[in-house]
Amino acid sequence: MFKLEAYNKLLVSTSVAAVLALSVVGCMGESTAPSGSDASVSLDIDGGVSHPVVNGKTGNYYVNPQAIGAKINNGRVPNAAELAKWDTDLQPVTELSPEGHGIPEGSGSVEDGETIYEAQCVMCHGDFGSGGGGYPALSKGNAYDLQKTLTNNRWKDPEADGPTRVFGSYWPQVTTMWWYIRDGMPHPFSDSLSVDETYALTAYILNINEMEIDGEEVDDEYVLDRAKFLKIKMPNVDGFEPNIAGANALPAVRAYFGKASNFGGQNLNQGAVRCMTDCQEPTAKIKRIQNGGIKDFIPAMNVTRDLPVKEAVAIDVKKVYTESCAMCHSAFLAPGSGDWAGYTPKGIDKVYANGIKGTEGGMPAKGGTDLSDADFKTMVDYLISGKIK
Amino acid sequence: MDNKESQDQTTIDRRDFFKKAAAVSVTALAGTSLLANESAGKGDPAIMHHTKWGRKWGDPVTKNQYGIPSAYEHNVIRRSTKLLASGNFRASIAVTPIHESQGIITPNGLFFSRSHGGTAHVDPNEYRLMIHGLVEKPIVLTLAELKRYPSVTRTHFIECPANGGQEWRGPQFNSVQFAKGFMASAEWTGVYIKTILEDLGLKPTAQWMLAEGSDNSKMGRTLPIDKILDDAMIVWGQNGEALRPEQGYPVRLLVPGWEGNLCVKWLRRLEFSQEPWYCKEETSKYTDLKPTGKAIQHFYANEVNSTVTSPSPELPWTDLKDGDVVEIEGLAWSGMGTITAVDLSFDGGKNYEEANLKGLVLSKSWTRWSYMHTYKKGKKLLLTSRAIDDAGYIQPTIDQEVSVMGVEAVYHRNAVETWEVTEEGKVNHVQIRSV
Ligand code: HEC
Ligand code: HEC
Repeated sequence: MFKLEAYNKLLVSTSVAAVLALSVVGCMGESTAPSGSDASVSLDIDGGVSHPVVNGKTGNYYVNPQAIGAKINNGRVPNAAELAKWDTDLQPVTELSPEGHGIPEGSGSVEDGETIYEAQCVMCHGDFGSGGGGYPALSKGNAYDLQKTLTNNRWKDPEADGPTRVFGSYWPQVTTMWWYIRDGMPHPFSDSLSVDETYALTAYILNINEMEIDGEEVDDEYVLDRAKFLKIKMPNVDGFEPNIAGANALPAVRAYFGKASNFGGQNLNQGAVRCMTDCQEPTAKIKRIQNGGIKDFIPAMNVTRDLPVKEAVAIDVKKVYTESCAMCHSAFLAPGSGDWAGYTPKGIDKVYANGIKGTEGGMPAKGGTDLSDADFKTMVDYLISGKIK
Repeated sequence: MDNKESQDQTTIDRRDFFKKAAAVSVTALAGTSLLANESAGKGDPAIMHHTKWGRKWGDPVTKNQYGIPSAYEHNVIRRSTKLLASGNFRASIAVTPIHESQGIITPNGLFFSRSHGGTAHVDPNEYRLMIHGLVEKPIVLTLAELKRYPSVTRTHFIECPANGGQEWRGPQFNSVQFAKGFMASAEWTGVYIKTILEDLGLKPTAQWMLAEGSDNSKMGRTLPIDKILDDAMIVWGQNGEALRPEQGYPVRLLVPGWEGNLCVKWLRRLEFSQEPWYCKEETSKYTDLKPTGKAIQHFYANEVNSTVTSPSPELPWTDLKDGDVVEIEGLAWSGMGTITAVDLSFDGGKNYEEANLKGLVLSKSWTRWSYMHTYKKGKKLLLTSRAIDDAGYIQPTIDQEVSVMGVEAVYHRNAVETWEVTEEGKVNHVQIRSV
């Protein structure tokens, strides 16, 4: 347990709510360990123990007490422009925050969203967000129906269908989608979409998840804007525990993790036993790896101590193509135009240079690889070489 | 044990040692002569021949200005697999060869590496950390300004909560590197966030902190104030040097004991708020779906856990002879406290004996454990280890954990795990479970 007194001065005002919110277990010298647990064990918010600073030590570590409470005041206050540039996160609408946080004005249609999706997302996320090949699905169908699959569990019947966890069926908040698309996608070239483009893509993803807003279906004609966005209620908004919203979130979280049975834990202070003899459930059997298991390790497992075989210097063009170019340059074609004719007239050196530098039109620098210039040129030659299937 | 007692203990141990040494010397000699017979008096070539390195000059000290491992160690490496990769290994994981780990520190080059948009290469001169939101004074720090805060050095593991997460429905990896290597441990140097907050003044309504990376995925996570005012750190040092790019160079968050994903790398921003954020990695992923249909969100701590590292599928006992005395070794760790005991079973968890802890035993840190075993050739074993921490947590059986969590949870699987040692000394990953 950290000594809260030492940090009370962090609180510039001390409203009752604040003291409640911050009276982390034991700050009054008492344990708030949940009933049923041993009162001598003081619990952190995560259900674990914590070590207070006692005699200049915390656990096995010495601490410099002079560093506690020292005012150091390094750095400077960021200006408004700097804050605005980096403070781009979104928070959802809640009781405490009816407008959410960071949700910008703007709008975008399902139709525009589809166009952008086809140009910048489909190569990885598949038609209609179907996913595959290691890329996450953005939809698997009707969000409301699929939300009902979340109770599917292949625990007793391994052959049964599992739960479907995609945006529509699983995510609690739509702000996550908007924010992540804006900051994290498209994957090879993030932070490149405008506010309106992001609304359009969000609208499209709501559409393919067959969702509705305020009773209205997000159909092909739908135009999403901020006001409508604020009204989106995800089907699985209540599907998560513990509660983390509201002014009393932290006590709820502490109580939840204070009880091992909530999360499948076994705690000796909460009735579990350290069985030493004859412990096994009579029904327990040996379960072995099925069908060889997963063993495509890269590189293969090897524990010998020999000298490495000299690596071939040439890059494996097929492999690089499959892993780093194919999802955009399928069938070796240039995206968009469909063939290389539109590119090569400007001279191969220009094509190399554009590829190395990346283009506004969506080609990430070196296709997002860290190939040397020479190796990248080899790849371009390979792409153009007519080895088109 | 006080000092006097321990001195006595030492004396007895030493006397004992000489007695025993005298008794075994006969057998030891017998063993030696046997070996000599085998090599027909010619001697072991590794001793009898000139070695390549024994006469010629070695490298000048000017070579390798930053040292690298012996070329013979080239198989001691991080590994990955397509099944855990998306985005051409840009949203993926490379795991630590824990079967080769020594002690409780992972060398920086072998530290497991997970990213959501690839390893970023941050220019330290352009590094900035912004701290704002519900604080009296927001700030922006350069790297030099950050490092001028009083530093703290602590040894902690970082574990991906998906460690073992592919095996809820049954074992999949015949490998300890892949079954348990989504983790590594280091000595970290940085500053407690609470120390910086002294300067800023946290507003009383603050309940949550967002930590955000500067990488292409802008990896973000929400943390409760409890942890921030306890032991959460902003770190720049790893095992005596700067963080490696794969670990977030130049600066990452370190949240001792909690999900590795919370230890945001390439850290650029901390924001304080009354309401939490719902980042992609705490909604879409890193949530544990239970059979009730409800999922646990904000599942912070990596719970008490352990594994046998030797023997393991990578380090079998196929070369042991009947009667060989061999050390069974493993790791135990808990994100909720300090390891207090490890039990070892030879029959898959029916009966346990207490093993011995070894070396430094620190909170939220890898802890080594050991058990001396006399190998019986041809006898099948089911080796199961079970750790206990000082918060009272003990590893559950698979049945116990699955009865609450089902098999769809993906994350935070810490039930006991079993190696089957076959008659030939091969080691297979198995699970002992009812369903
Ligand atoms: C994320 C998708 C994506 C990936 C991955 C990708 N490309 Fe491209 N590439 C594009 C797009 C889109 C264009 C068209 C750009 C334009 O017209 O401005 C393009 C254009 C190019 C061009 C023509 C540049 C010019 O304007 O002259 C070359 C050469 C090229 N890519 C090579 C590669 C190689 C080689 C790889 C793999 C190592 C690769 N690309 C990976 C999307 C991608
Ligand atoms: C080069 C491949 C690629 C392209 C192009 C791409 N993505 Fe992604 N996307 C990924 C990968 C890989 C992930 C998983 C990232 C992770 O694991 O953190 C992802 C994740 C996502 C997710 C989160 C899915 C989930 O369920 O967690 C969304 C939403 C998303 N992408 C939207 C988009 C949109 C919209 C576009 C187009 C503007 C796009 N992506 C373009 C590769 C891509």
